[in-house]
Amino acid sequence: MTTTSTASSSSPSSSSSASASSSSSGGVGKAGSPVFAVDGLWKVFGPKAERIPGDSALTDLGPAELRARTGCTAAVRDVGFEVRKGEVFVVMGLSGSGKSTLVRCLTRLIEPTAGTISIDGEDVRAMDKARLRELRRHRASMVFQHFGLLPHRSVLDNIAYGLEIQGVGKAERRKKATEFVAKVGLEGMEQRKPGQLSGGQQQRVGLARALAVDPEVLLFDEPFSALDPLIRRDMQEEVIRLHREEGRTMVFITHDLNEALRLGDRIALMRDGRIVQLGTPEEIVGSPADDYVREFVRDVPREQVMTVRKAMRAASGDEADRGPAVAPDTTVSEAIEAVARTGSPARVVDEGRCLGVVDSQALLGVVAGTGRPADGTGGPADAVPDADGDAVPDADAESRDARSAGEGVA
Amino acid sequence: MRRKMLSAVAGVSSLLVLTGCGAADMTKQASPFAGVAGSKTVTLSVQSWVGAQANVAVAQYLLEHELGYRVDTVQVDEVPAWDALSQGRIDAILEDWGHPDQEARYVKDKKTITPGGDLGVTGHIGWFVPTYFAKQHPDVTNWKNLNKYADQFRTAESGGKGQLLDGSPSYVTNDKALVANLNLDYQVVFAGSEAAQITQIRQFAKEKKPFLTYWYKPQWLFEKVPMTEVKLPAYKEGCDADPEKVACAYPHTPLQKYLNSDFARGGGKAAAFLKNFKWTLEDQNAVSLMIADQKLTPEEAAKKWVGSHESTWKAWLPK
Amino acid sequence: MAATTTAVPATGAAALARSVVKHRAFGKLLLLAVVAAVLIPVVNARWASGTWPEALTVDVSDPLTKTSDWIIDNRDSHPLFLYFFGHVSNAVVLSVRAVYVVLLAAGWAGVTAAAALIAWRVAGVRLAIGTGVAFLVSGLLNMWVPAMQTLALMVVAVLASVVLGALLGLAAGLSDRTYRALRPVLDTMQVLPAFSYLLPVVLIFGIGVPAAVIATVVYAAPPMARLTALGLRGADGGVMEAVASMGTTARQRLLTARLPLARKELLLGLNQTIMMALSMAVIASLVGAGGLGDRVYQALASVDVGAALAASIPIVLLAIVLDRVTGAAGERLGDSGSSASSAKSGLVWWGCVAVGAVAVALAGRFTDRLNWPQGWVVNIAEPVNRAVDWMTAHLYSGVPYVGGTADWAGHFTTWVLDPVRDGLQGLPWWSVLLIVATLAWLIGTWRTALTAVLAMAAIGALGVWKPSLDTLSQVLAAVAVTLVVGFAIGAVAARSERLERLLRPVLDVFQTMPQFVYLIPVVALFGVGRAPAVAAAVVYALPAVIRITTQGLRQVSPAAMESSRSLGATNWQQLRQVQLPLARPALLLAVNQGVVLVLAVVIIGGLVGGGALGYDVVFGLAQGDLATGLVAGAAIVCLGLMLDRVTQPTERRTRKGA
Repeated sequence: MTTTSTASSSSPSSSSSASASSSSSGGVGKAGSPVFAVDGLWKVFGPKAERIPGDSALTDLGPAELRARTGCTAAVRDVGFEVRKGEVFVVMGLSGSGKSTLVRCLTRLIEPTAGTISIDGEDVRAMDKARLRELRRHRASMVFQHFGLLPHRSVLDNIAYGLEIQGVGKAERRKKATEFVAKVGLEGMEQRKPGQLSGGQQQRVGLARALAVDPEVLLFDEPFSALDPLIRRDMQEEVIRLHREEGRTMVFITHDLNEALRLGDRIALMRDGRIVQLGTPEEIVGSPADDYVREFVRDVPREQVMTVRKAMRAASGDEADRGPAVAPDTTVSEAIEAVARTGSPARVVDEGRCLGVVDSQALLGVVAGTGRPADGTGGPADAVPDADGDAVPDADAESRDARSAGEGVA
Repeated sequence: MRRKMLSAVAGVSSLLVLTGCGAADMTKQASPFAGVAGSKTVTLSVQSWVGAQANVAVAQYLLEHELGYRVDTVQVDEVPAWDALSQGRIDAILEDWGHPDQEARYVKDKKTITPGGDLGVTGHIGWFVPTYFAKQHPDVTNWKNLNKYADQFRTAESGGKGQLLDGSPSYVTNDKALVANLNLDYQVVFAGSEAAQITQIRQFAKEKKPFLTYWYKPQWLFEKVPMTEVKLPAYKEGCDADPEKVACAYPHTPLQKYLNSDFARGGGKAAAFLKNFKWTLEDQNAVSLMIADQKLTPEEAAKKWVGSHESTWKAWLPK
Repeated sequence: MAATTTAVPATGAAALARSVVKHRAFGKLLLLAVVAAVLIPVVNARWASGTWPEALTVDVSDPLTKTSDWIIDNRDSHPLFLYFFGHVSNAVVLSVRAVYVVLLAAGWAGVTAAAALIAWRVAGVRLAIGTGVAFLVSGLLNMWVPAMQTLALMVVAVLASVVLGALLGLAAGLSDRTYRALRPVLDTMQVLPAFSYLLPVVLIFGIGVPAAVIATVVYAAPPMARLTALGLRGADGGVMEAVASMGTTARQRLLTARLPLARKELLLGLNQTIMMALSMAVIASLVGAGGLGDRVYQALASVDVGAALAASIPIVLLAIVLDRVTGAAGERLGDSGSSASSAKSGLVWWGCVAVGAVAVALAGRFTDRLNWPQGWVVNIAEPVNRAVDWMTAHLYSGVPYVGGTADWAGHFTTWVLDPVRDGLQGLPWWSVLLIVATLAWLIGTWRTALTAVLAMAAIGALGVWKPSLDTLSQVLAAVAVTLVVGFAIGAVAARSERLERLLRPVLDVFQTMPQFVYLIPVVALFGVGRAPAVAAAVVYALPAVIRITTQGLRQVSPAAMESSRSLGATNWQQLRQVQLPLARPALLLAVNQGVVLVLAVVIIGGLVGGGALGYDVVFGLAQGDLATGLVAGAAIVCLGLMLDRVTQPTERRTRKGA
């Protein structure tokens, strides 16, 4: 993963553990019913928008044609996905791809045109005003790109705002807010106004405000896009740390592929309102669903995203018994290091069982983007997911399992 | 939902206003600046011209210093003053130049205003030329010769015609009709306010320029700029009945006082005093000149006059 | 009517025309020409006359007179008056009286101390000193009691305006429909001259303080409503979304986010409301408001410029101080406040302010110094009058070479005002409409053109076509002079920091000086007639034009200036090729403001011989003649609307602020 580039200076293995652990703590243990389940979701802007989703003559049109024919813009088109408990679900796309609209539909900040959304099995679209407020107050908190802080309130009062809305008493909410000030590292700035803070500090306030109400899900709408690159990196670390500590479910919107790869357990890549591919970072990078995605991930340092699982081949001869052992979710770049050090192919070992081996040729193949081991013998077919990430939940789950196990190895 | 709530609030509050407080007759209302200590207060109307200021200044001085009243003054134009008088916003007008419409409505019809008798001064409106010009051209004082001098009375404002300077819009004037009906080659130029008219007359006088102006007596300006009246066709009773067809001079009007009816009945000594208040043209002019020319405050002027005319005002005080 | 028929086909054919002719302005012109070519022969055949045809006028004087009579007859008996206006009126009297009693009880020392302390709290030490000085000067000029009367009236009027304006603004800020309904009304009220409110108000409330307060409220509430609505609507969408995402109720959103976010606009609204109310203070004296305005008005009657000035100086000082204090308070808010100013310390502060003021007031009471001491009075009337006399005596005529002001006035009347007026009045009525339509459409949209043409047609229908064109000619002349002088001074001031600093207090004074004060000097210099009316308008409108010009030129991006300098441009080249083109929006705004302000003093022009509509309004007021006054007032409003639309570039509609 790209994480390594920061952390590798100190210890390459710890970085991989950090990213791996992000999925582990809450993730698999409580896996089961999804937090959010979205199906057939549409959001169309424009006159008489409600007729579009049902009309198959219109749903097939491209954005330009649709606008020309109906004057409508479909920001979200027939989107379906599930967000599992404890995972970081990233929605990624360029501006205009509909990702921000999508996340707003989840709590009906934008009213969807068609489709179903449920949170913990409860139909969000059927909620009345009071129930919806309840949802927004306690179950899903949002962090915004432009912070959305109240300029006339101090840092402390901004963080306490969500509690104030809920009717929590002044002393209690201040006490609680003070905790979260510490949590996001803003001690000593409690009385400042947002205007006196830097962008990064403001977003920490936004984060603390969202956390203070102890929501079930955190929604992030491009929270770090407005920040400088270095600050952005810090904030990403912060989110990773929070996730590791609390295991809260997160839906994270971004246009930054690196950010998506770094944070996401799974990534939904959007284009023109549709999800073009949904899968783990490795799947997206390793098996782009189409040319658009391929173009998108072209410059990604593949060796840092791809794991050896995708590059290995069956062991031949005594390969299964010697050479360095690596976990299945070891990144290719780490495997290269091991292979280079020992000069022999590395064994991919999971729970003591040897799954296969990676040799320098295979690893170079990944780096070069030729995709498969050069010798053409082919890797284990079952380990390579279909082009469509959606269609292979098994492979996905397996990979997750593997990764979480990998933590133990590291 | 919000709209419903708003309208409900509005409805309730208007109901409260309607039922909770009962009727409020704003015609029985005093000025918020009236005597705070609860002393007896008289409110007098001051019109914009200085003669009226002189009446009020003297009346005010005597009411305050001899009868122990507090006096408020309100400056309003003549017609609105009638209206205010009928509403009781003011208690008395001390100098009225004749408003038959208002008199019919408020005195005869609604009976909210009571005549308060003569002021003792006779007012007269007319056309005037400066005396320095009349001396050079004696025949200008007859309206028939005015066209001969139209050229000399020309200004940029009147264009190709002679200028007849008129004053404040609150004053009674038939000049437009007069110019038309007497076939005069003149243009009526409205100064729009007395202040503007006086300033203009003084500028003309300073340069000894000829001018023709609508003006009235008594007026202190005659002391500063001597003016001679131009004779118009003689006034006959009723010749000014139709404002479109007027072709005669303005009448001589004995100036009148008017009191609010309630005040006239229940105003005690103040009402009696104001009914008795009556002085001469000279008296009024003396006070006017102190105010307008020596720039004394009305109060100082009144004090000065009161000091030297005890016999006159002693007679006004109610026994 | 003709106006409507001009515009309706125009819109339909607009698309066609656009495809034929690429250039928009040219397209518009061509389209208008076509419409004109079709309509004019028809119109001309039917109503061939130079002036507005009789057949197209509506006589409104009868119903107006009847209304006026009905009000007078029913004022003391009809439930509407007994149960509504009566209570309004009583409430005004009671509250003004209450404030007045408090002010008198506090005594001059208490009032001054309280004002200075408040200013210190919200705006700092310098303004506190300024505030104290302003009040002391009022006392020194022997204007303490009238100043307190005016202050009492202003406090009530401003509070009422703010409450009313805020409520309206709230409604418009929260509901799109209310906003759409209210916006044109508020826009129109902004070009309404203060005088036009007096007549109907006086008819209902009679003369006196209630009428003055109500007229002031009607005049001063619109900016508050406008800015409140703007502030509420302009709330940062991101913040509002964030707040909504936390599950706020509508009421919580309003109270904790929308209102606090709009506080800068609210404060600006307060500032504008105070300024408008103060500018009404003198005009309200026409309906018997008492106070400083009454002193100005009485001084006017005895042609005493000095006394009028003495009564005006407190108004001017009060206006400048209040402007600065509310402005400074706004800036402090804008800084988001220093971290120290928490709610608790604020309360302590205000407590100190209150205690201090009460202490001073009590000290005044015990030393029996409630009234301003008689000995501490400076009489400025005499020297001022001498100065004015000297000035008018030496400038009026016979100045060597350049001629006196009276000669200028004469030449201006003969060579500028007369030809423009005669030209306008000589034009066939439909061609005036056509010109208006062309100008408005070229500068704006077909909507603005339609409004402008309708406004002009309304003037004709009201039967005041001729005097309106007379007024229009004066307005055009005054605007031209204002712009020439204003742009020139503005351009110079923009280049010299020092000059701008020198100009600032002068402009402040002229902007806040009651217009009645320069009435006499203007007549003394220019004689009676339209020339002094134009002069008064120029004096009134010039400060705003200079200010906007200076700011506009100043704001030209330094990068553009630097690059042109680096290319070796001369000062003149810089001004002409860089600054003027880049400052174009500001200059257009200056034109628009100039027009609106000039129109606002048309009625003052009526008081110095300007005649036409201004005189008619004054006449209506003086004679209680609703028909004449109201019709003339309405015509001024229509002229204002028309001129505003004709000079209002479309972009400005999206601009913030009043």
